[in-house]
Amino acid sequence: MAVINLKNRQIECKLVYYGPGRSGKTTNLEYIHKAFKKQVTGKMISIDTEGDRTLFFDFLPLGLGKIKGCDVKVQLYTVPGQVKYKATRQLVLKGVDGIIFVADSLAVRREKNMISLKDLHENLLKMGLSIRKIPLVLQYNKRDLESKGLPVMPVQKMEQELNRQLKVPSFTASALSGDGVGHTLNQALKLTLQSLQNEFKWAQ
Amino acid sequence: MDLGEKIKKYYKEAELYTSHGLLAEALEKYKSVEGLVKSTSNIRNRQGILKQLSIKIEETNHKILKLDGPKTTPEVAEDAQSLMKEMFSFDDPEARGSSALGGAIALAKFGQYDKAIEEFNRLLEYENLRLEAAKNILWCWIEQNYTDYAVSLYQKWRKTKLFPQKEAESLQKYFNELMDKTGMDHEIDGLESQRTVEPDSELDDDEILDISSVRFILPRGPKEGERTELEISFQSGKYIRMIISRREKDLVDSINPGDLLKDIVFYSPVAIFSGEGYVSSKNEIDAGPKKGDYSLEIKIIKIVS
Ligand SMILES: Nc1nc2c(ncn2[C@@H]2O[C@H](COP(=O)(O)OP(=O)(O)O)[C@@H](O)[C@H]2O)c(=O)[nH]1
Ligand SMILES: [Mg+2]
Repeated sequence: MAVINLKNRQIECKLVYYGPGRSGKTTNLEYIHKAFKKQVTGKMISIDTEGDRTLFFDFLPLGLGKIKGCDVKVQLYTVPGQVKYKATRQLVLKGVDGIIFVADSLAVRREKNMISLKDLHENLLKMGLSIRKIPLVLQYNKRDLESKGLPVMPVQKMEQELNRQLKVPSFTASALSGDGVGHTLNQALKLTLQSLQNEFKWAQ
Repeated sequence: MDLGEKIKKYYKEAELYTSHGLLAEALEKYKSVEGLVKSTSNIRNRQGILKQLSIKIEETNHKILKLDGPKTTPEVAEDAQSLMKEMFSFDDPEARGSSALGGAIALAKFGQYDKAIEEFNRLLEYENLRLEAAKNILWCWIEQNYTDYAVSLYQKWRKTKLFPQKEAESLQKYFNELMDKTGMDHEIDGLESQRTVEPDSELDDDEILDISSVRFILPRGPKEGERTELEISFQSGKYIRMIISRREKDLVDSINPGDLLKDIVFYSPVAIFSGEGYVSSKNEIDAGPKKGDYSLEIKIIKIVS
């Protein structure tokens, strides 16, 4: 739920990185934290008390400066991917304005991607939101592994399986090196701000 | 692909899955490599490789078990707790427009029970938030399986008439429903709480030092709220036993089986530490020189520092 203050011309919106466990959501945020220092307005908080697994969420606040006369702030969150943390995912999704679905390109994770997308769909429904209406982009992550001879699904196949009906913008990425991370985020922000514009007419 | 190449390729995959924390996938791959190696005899250092694989398989199994095991939600650092409070409190209908209550509810939902209870306790002071705070406190204790403690707290509130009639009814209804969900048979309206589940201890016996005495706050009865210090007469791992003289009747009446002691200080000859304990029994000694005195047993549930 974006906070929009038309008088002071400020917008604060919330983007959530969603996807199966270990697909690279935290890695996306870590890269953003490193590479977009100018936009980072606070420290990244990772709550991963269980070794390196995200148990609750990661959080990174960004400030994009003035866009169409408005001061835009963004909160990035990730959800824990493992099935058993459904309740936490629902909590983190509360008030979401836009979603980046990080799919794992590793062939062995094919089914997990689909299950997670379905889980997203159900959790949004519970909050009265539709996966077809909410600003959403897909990211096919870990593409770098293909050249290392590991079994990775062809992009076309991932499109077919995850995006055939949704038809949302999709990006290939290697979050570890940062490839595609910025593009994915940019597009998600664009869609989110557009959708907020349609709803609240904030732009000048 | 010849067999050797296939083995190498699969092994490399398994290693990558391990490094990405994809343990089930890694396990499966290690097993297929093992199958391949077993199926052939003309491979160099076959025994060595099989040995290596069985270690990998065992390690992976071990990691999977560790992650899947039942576990309580860990407490997180303070900045993370503040974030949970601030960011997730906004539109909760239970919060009745109070961001303090909303924040505490968010903490509870993230399993940060100690911190949440601390805040709810503070909110009990405010009449308009008292009922919601009380409900949430009971919820937090029950979520942590401290059913007995929830019952005794509820009884205490009833006895002290903390709530006006209407709210008391609402709380009773809420608490009954909570208790029904636990599926445990409890006499919540009777004044004595019954012992039911004993909380599990987080400790292994050999983790606990020899304890010479303990100090804690009496949870009920004539001396409720007072500090007492008792010497340990017997210890077996996490179970410690103390004798209370029959002459100290007030003390005897201020602690009962099923009581949860949230703040015990343990004194050992080499260190002082604090933690939680559960009163597992209290019996009158019926023979020997201490006849008529009471033997109190506490099970140490966790050590905090
Ligand atoms: N090779 C490669 N590894 C990645 C990539 N993205 C993430 N990883 C690795 O995948 C594992 C899981 O990543 P993480 O960000 O913790 O996943 P999360 O559970 O979605 O937050 C880590 O070991 C990362 O280093 C990528 O693009 N390429
Ligand atoms: Mg993560």
